[in-house]
Amino acid sequence: MSILEVNHIEKHFGATKVLNDISFSLEQGQALSIIGSSGSGKTTLLRCLNFLEKPDNGTISVQGNVIFDAADPATQNEKEIRAKRLHFGMVFQNFNLFPQYTVLQNVTLARELLAKERGGESKESIVKAGRELLAQMGLADRADHYPHQLSGGQQQRVAIARALALHPDILCFDEPTSALDPELTGEVLRVIRSLAEQKTTMIIVTHEMAFARDVADQVIFMDGGVIVEQGDPREVIDHPKEERTRQFLARYSEN
Amino acid sequence: MFWTVTLSLIKGLGAATQLFFLTLLFGLPLGLVVAFGSMSKWQPFRFLLYGQETPGPATRWLAELRPISGLTNIIVWIIRGTPLMLQLIIIFYGPGLWFDNNIWSFSAGRMSACTLAFVINYACYFSVIFRGGIEGVPVGQREAGEVLGMTKRQIFFKVTLLQMVKRVVPPMSNEIITLVKDTSLARIIAITELIKAGEAFMKSNGITWPLFYTAVYYLLFVGILTIIFNYIERKLSYFR
Repeated sequence: MSILEVNHIEKHFGATKVLNDISFSLEQGQALSIIGSSGSGKTTLLRCLNFLEKPDNGTISVQGNVIFDAADPATQNEKEIRAKRLHFGMVFQNFNLFPQYTVLQNVTLARELLAKERGGESKESIVKAGRELLAQMGLADRADHYPHQLSGGQQQRVAIARALALHPDILCFDEPTSALDPELTGEVLRVIRSLAEQKTTMIIVTHEMAFARDVADQVIFMDGGVIVEQGDPREVIDHPKEERTRQFLARYSEN
Repeated sequence: MFWTVTLSLIKGLGAATQLFFLTLLFGLPLGLVVAFGSMSKWQPFRFLLYGQETPGPATRWLAELRPISGLTNIIVWIIRGTPLMLQLIIIFYGPGLWFDNNIWSFSAGRMSACTLAFVINYACYFSVIFRGGIEGVPVGQREAGEVLGMTKRQIFFKVTLLQMVKRVVPPMSNEIITLVKDTSLARIIAITELIKAGEAFMKSNGITWPLFYTAVYYLLFVGILTIIFNYIERKLSYFR
């Protein structure tokens, strides 16, 4: 059974259709890259998965359970949405770390709040897990710094640790390196690559074509709110079938 | 003479201080309410657009109308657009003149009327500062909290509140320092605040130094506030 199944998602902003009949599925342990030019709807699609936008049509299923159905208001209950969100982790383009908390507190805050609500985990074990995650990101010595004291690449790695702390089923990246100086993208891409090697289920919206091809098990090319082409990354990126994909990739190789 | 003047000025300072703290006590929370009012996105006539392919300009206007935000903004415009002195006069003398009913005739009536005028006036200024603070926190902060499964309450108290406070402190300190000196307007409805107390000696004894003496009180008052605000700003400077 696929871990994620997205069926016929549609989203309008006013009169503009930003997403049209988006369907795809993702298997446990796989990485999916979404490529396409700005305004093609990639980010909106990720935001729909994370309940930051509400699709006007379609369904989203995780592990066979329908967690969102535009036609069924029962799946859109505010309280349940909070719990369902935790299937997904989100790493934003601009990191969105909480500036008033230390790096470690950024990673542990949400989990501590959840533990307080549901009981269970002790604060010590949450902090310990947080430190381990930071060590995994190569940031063990930065735990007590504040976000503004870190470089962009370090901040984005903290954001990844923060998302991982809640053990999401599917980790989403929204152009994780677009806000970074070119010399800082490498460290973030390395972390994502190692997550892929550990079989973390991921959806990565990216402009890094070479990275998308190397890391992903599946690639989706989007244009104008529709999926133009999807499949094996070597097929889609190296031997695109569709004219639109070819044009998009040609523009990339020129740069 | 010095002691007579000092005692009299301290009484005036008492009235000014009372007005100052009452205005903050009621004006700050009211300001927050007004801020939320002006940010209200409620559009009760939105339904007029449903199923309409090409709505006319009037329909569109009505559908997009945000009555709470609109009304609040008009009130804020009127209050910020007219002198506090005028508002003070209208609130104190208005009821007696128009309705033949001086609701302020009780013993603390003058101070109450004055406090009311100050609270309304300052709440409007505070509201704009609060709004700036709230809107100044990037949307991404709220979204980051949401995707981490936090409740709206948790996001407000654990994530956005402190960032809002940090943004609000510098403009708020300006406004509060202005309030210290605006308390002198209370004399317009015959409340003996500092300057009126000092000026009384000019009229009765022909001496002007008590007037300059009042300035010392204002300077001390504002000096203490400045120290407090600098302390708060320093406390919040650990993050950006």
